[in-house]
Amino acid sequence: MASVAELKEKHAAATASVNSLRERLRQKRERLLDTDGEASPPPPSARELKRVARYSKTQGRAAVSFNSTDLVCCRTLQGHSGKVGADELTLISLPQFWRSILRTGDRQVISMGRLPFQVLSWLVVYSLDWTPEKNWIVSASQDGRLIVWNALTSQKTHAIKLHCPWVMTCAFAPNGQSVACGGLDSACSIFNLNSQPDRDGNMPVSRILTGHKGYVSSCQYVPDQETRLITSSGDQTCALWDVTTGQRISIFGGEFPSGHTADVLSVSINSSNSNMFVSGSCDATVRLWDIRIASRAVRTYHGHEGDINSVKFFPDGQRFGTGSDDGTCRLFDMRTGHQLQVYSREQDRNDTELSTVTSIAFSISGRLLFAGYSNGDCYVWDTLLAEVVLNLGNLQNSHDGRISCLGLSSDGSALCTGSWDKNLKIWAFSGHRKIV
Amino acid sequence: GFPPPCLSRNPSFLGRVILLAAAAATLSSPAMAAAAGDGAGDFSFAAEYDGPPLPYSLPRAIPLDLSHIPLASLSSPPASPSASSSPLPVVRPLTPSSLCSTVHSHAHPVPRSAAPAPAGGAAVVDSPTSVIENHHAAAHHSAELPSSPSDVEGPDEAGRPALPPKPHQPVVTFAETSGSLLQTSDDEDEFEEEEDDDDDDAAARAARPRAAGQTSGSFSPAHIESGSRRGAKSRGCYKCGKGGGFWSRGDKESCLACGARYCSGCVLRAMGSMPEGRKCLECIGRPVAESRRDVLGQGSRVLRRLLSAAELELVMKSERECPANQLRADDVYVNGLSLLSEELVILQGCPCPPPRLRPGFYWYDKVSGFWGKEGHKPHCIISPNLNIKGFLHQKASNGNTGILINGREITKSELQMLKLAGVQCAGKPHFWVNADGTYQEEGQKTVKGKIWDKPIVKLLSPVLSLPTPNKAANQCGEEAVHMVNRAVPDYLEQRTVHKLLIVGSGASTILKQVKYLFMDKPFTVDEREDLKLIIQSNIYNYLGILLEGRERFEEEASNDRRKISQCDPSSSGRDESGFCDGTTQYSLIPRLKAFSEWILKAMALGNLEDIFPAASREYAPLVEELWKDPAIQATYKRRNELPFLPPAANYFLEKAVDISRPEYELSDMDILYADGITSSDGLASTEFSFPQMPFDAQGVDEYDPQDALIRHQLIRINNRGLHENCKWLQMFDDVRLVIFCVAASDYDEYYEDANGTIVNKMIESRQLFESIVLHPTFEQMDFLLVFTKFDLLDQKIDKSPLTSCDWFDDFTPLLSRNLMNGSSRSTRSSHSGATLSQMAVHYMGVKFKRLFRSLTERKLYVSHVNALDQASVLSVIRYGREIVKWEEEKPVFGASETTYSEEPSSYLADV
Repeated sequence: MASVAELKEKHAAATASVNSLRERLRQKRERLLDTDGEASPPPPSARELKRVARYSKTQGRAAVSFNSTDLVCCRTLQGHSGKVGADELTLISLPQFWRSILRTGDRQVISMGRLPFQVLSWLVVYSLDWTPEKNWIVSASQDGRLIVWNALTSQKTHAIKLHCPWVMTCAFAPNGQSVACGGLDSACSIFNLNSQPDRDGNMPVSRILTGHKGYVSSCQYVPDQETRLITSSGDQTCALWDVTTGQRISIFGGEFPSGHTADVLSVSINSSNSNMFVSGSCDATVRLWDIRIASRAVRTYHGHEGDINSVKFFPDGQRFGTGSDDGTCRLFDMRTGHQLQVYSREQDRNDTELSTVTSIAFSISGRLLFAGYSNGDCYVWDTLLAEVVLNLGNLQNSHDGRISCLGLSSDGSALCTGSWDKNLKIWAFSGHRKIV
Repeated sequence: GFPPPCLSRNPSFLGRVILLAAAAATLSSPAMAAAAGDGAGDFSFAAEYDGPPLPYSLPRAIPLDLSHIPLASLSSPPASPSASSSPLPVVRPLTPSSLCSTVHSHAHPVPRSAAPAPAGGAAVVDSPTSVIENHHAAAHHSAELPSSPSDVEGPDEAGRPALPPKPHQPVVTFAETSGSLLQTSDDEDEFEEEEDDDDDDAAARAARPRAAGQTSGSFSPAHIESGSRRGAKSRGCYKCGKGGGFWSRGDKESCLACGARYCSGCVLRAMGSMPEGRKCLECIGRPVAESRRDVLGQGSRVLRRLLSAAELELVMKSERECPANQLRADDVYVNGLSLLSEELVILQGCPCPPPRLRPGFYWYDKVSGFWGKEGHKPHCIISPNLNIKGFLHQKASNGNTGILINGREITKSELQMLKLAGVQCAGKPHFWVNADGTYQEEGQKTVKGKIWDKPIVKLLSPVLSLPTPNKAANQCGEEAVHMVNRAVPDYLEQRTVHKLLIVGSGASTILKQVKYLFMDKPFTVDEREDLKLIIQSNIYNYLGILLEGRERFEEEASNDRRKISQCDPSSSGRDESGFCDGTTQYSLIPRLKAFSEWILKAMALGNLEDIFPAASREYAPLVEELWKDPAIQATYKRRNELPFLPPAANYFLEKAVDISRPEYELSDMDILYADGITSSDGLASTEFSFPQMPFDAQGVDEYDPQDALIRHQLIRINNRGLHENCKWLQMFDDVRLVIFCVAASDYDEYYEDANGTIVNKMIESRQLFESIVLHPTFEQMDFLLVFTKFDLLDQKIDKSPLTSCDWFDDFTPLLSRNLMNGSSRSTRSSHSGATLSQMAVHYMGVKFKRLFRSLTERKLYVSHVNALDQASVLSVIRYGREIVKWEEEKPVFGASETTYSEEPSSYLADV
């Protein structure tokens, strides 16, 4: 018994030291990131602000002046920390970001019309994905079916009954010929849409990817590669699969110390460099992975205070957005690891319960961020100014239940939202406004 | 160490933006034009393009001349509700010459030469997104509709042209549009309320769905209003007003519920994604018109043209199968009683169902299978012996012949046929006729003959319009009753499957037992193969744990010996030989030692599973040798000190050689003992239904037609993935009961959690229990707590007191003298009636009940089980079923709840 007590004591001491180290690490990180006002050094110098303004002028965008209030918001983008290195990095990365915004976003073409053109009715929807080319949507719902919709005619083209009805994610292959889905059966099933249904009208599974030890929370095909698929799972890992052979090519996380320490809920693959992907997890961190180096995470991004439900790469592939249980969306710079912007809704209404962000998507220029919330709101954020442009949840004909998934069509012309009210709705940019 | 910033522009990105701008221009013609008129300019809608010249011409939108668009003006709501006899706003149909042609000219493929086209520019390039656009226009259109005058309107006025156009206000930013929409829908609400006040006719109200959303809601009042007139008058497309009486069959599609007709251009917009088949949006959820039931699921030419074959098939499938389109059981009366929905399923699912079943009154002769309308002669012969309530009435077919068949007085034509069949009918006999056509006279045993034997009967029956049996009816016979494992139609599946969620330790064993209990083939070949792999690789896991233990014990032993030899020099000489080469009883011979080190290394690297299923055969002899080695056996004797060795290890290690062979066949016991169900060990589920006659016939009121259709689904989830904020538990909100398993033997077992602290397993179970009970999804859920591994508890309760778990420190069993003097320790004591282990389970149950009550203020059901024993599993599952049933009936019994509540919540079910 004495030895057990001794061991316990030793263990407690070790735990304490680990915790203190963690705390120190956290403080250090906070000092470096310095994104929030409280402990931060003085506001950005006028020089910085002028820089941006001057830059806009050189781009012939003088009329598009970001007035002083706008620039205040941009403060969070610029870090002033004691460390020179970090400061430099910030300066390097910021104009880049501004440039892309100024060039593409132009003059805040940010009003979005309301135009749900069809209501696709189905059971509680958990996940959806668009085809890259055709205007098809695949959605997964609680009744254990995958439905492939034609978004233009709003008709179902395929209804696939699943072996395991508890499905959490679905994805279209880049060529639009097959769909993948995964859920609580800890496997990812691939269906070829061209295959003939069997006698009972059920679509045969063309491949089952097994190997995860927890539920499959998210899956995405590697762009331009029909045969590669990345999944994330409740077993704290992500995996890269070869769909044709059904083999797991590599596992990200798990035993390796730099992996996630809780369920991974979401992955997003960089569109400009498909070797890189990020994963968001219940451990409130996002990790960046290189699919060629499975052994360790390239980088870990801290900042959120709750489970990260959704990650999505910014269209330029240099940044990514996250949506979390703490009710905020954040924008991170991939290379520097800095948190560029926080999109947090003020709790003005007397909601005692914090509504969590369930899913996010960027418009194709990146100027708009669509975020679905668990209370049924769907905010359109101006990514640059961190202001709410529109709340789709307040519009007529909006969803009654929690928004569970969002997806933008590949040409950016329409947004599809799926909800627990059993519907998918498609919202299109309407009127004369430019798609941003 | 960061890559240099990329300062050059990204040309491809820029190109994409231009394209998009072009797409936006294509997309947006009328609205754009309209908004140009608005000119409010609180935003600029296009950026000046200053890039390189484009190689193609951009599509352009030419502004509409707004003054030429005739539009109806907004009506003011009626001054007072009582003043207006027909308070609903009614839309006049739009004539071709007015609004629709301009707004929709690009939407309809049908060219309309008559239509003046003031807005020639609206002939937009048809982009692939034109449906979006069309709908957009429709949204405007429909927004406008209710605003036309809503005074009294007769059917004859329907064709009249719309009111002279009013100068139209510029169409507006989108914010404004939505504002005006809000306005209109508010108005409708008002109208509907008035209507409800005036009109008490429930049917009329039922036919008028509330405005649901913007698009559907805004034109629904008008729509419904004229629903009654639709049949009477031939008119155009209900949405665009085109077509008049001239269109051919192939050009229109009508709503199954209200009969509104739409032209091919409008049908997709009017019907949306057709979740219930061809119904307009606002009719979704309403039953189909009975006259149109025949066309359910029969594709139309219009849709075939508009949709691809696969799409059409899915629409038709949902049209046939969605619940709203099904015959309502309440409307079908058989033998004087309206059917229950389950009975309707039986009726329609039987081998020879009554053809073209419609709402109405029917009689059904269970013995012979005769089926007919009440007051009429038999119409057909359906499957006999269907389990339908109600008794056949003598006057069911309104006969006056005085001759009874199965208690029904037959009609004249039947009598004629009987005579033809050579049946003696003198003296008004009463007959029994069976399904196969044999008949007996009432009260007599002998079969007098078969009605259908004579060919003339079959020939003449059609003449008398009497039915003859078809072959299937005869074959089905008694089997019709046993439809337990029949496929339930999709639309009923959701309703009749009771889902039971089972979590916790031992849950997978219970699930496997349930498979054995209720399924003919409990495990498929693949599943067995999976389990085999699990067992084979587990062998090495168990060995690894033993080997680790061995190393520890060896070290300890040699340390002890060293100490002894140091403090007791006298013994050193004696032990010299043993001490020198360091062998203890835990030492292995070198060959085995190498093998053991290899296994341990593989375990440490975590790739044990990758290596071993493949290698298992190769090393089988080694494994056996290792297991039989005295060192391992000595280690195994001290297995109490090896917390990670599962109790099943012994069972499998004993037959390690067998298991390692490639041709190893799993026995049922192996499957039960095996750890987990599938290789991924995620979620597992099985569906079953209780056989109609339960295994023991004790239940007097067991039989219930509803039970036959109820299927249960037992879903096992792995507690490894469970934690407090477990999101995916939300998926189980339709579960009826959560069965939470706690291993009763856990109270003195410990494990090491992720932080390395030692946790009592019972405490851990309690934490898991708390987090699941408090999970928002299970707020109102019933819980059944099951103590598993009762047999293990029984074995060890004497050796290890229950109080070794902190939570149970106040367990002070009142032991009878019999127990105290040790005569019957763990056997059933004759006096107290309870063994120590039973008391312990009882006590733990109370602990959990108190916890549950403090958390939820509700009652917890508790039971215990020995999962290796089929009977005890069956009783637990039946107990679970009773709980679900009882919870269902609780609202019915309401007042008598107190008397009922005692029974199911008694501490322990009879096991």
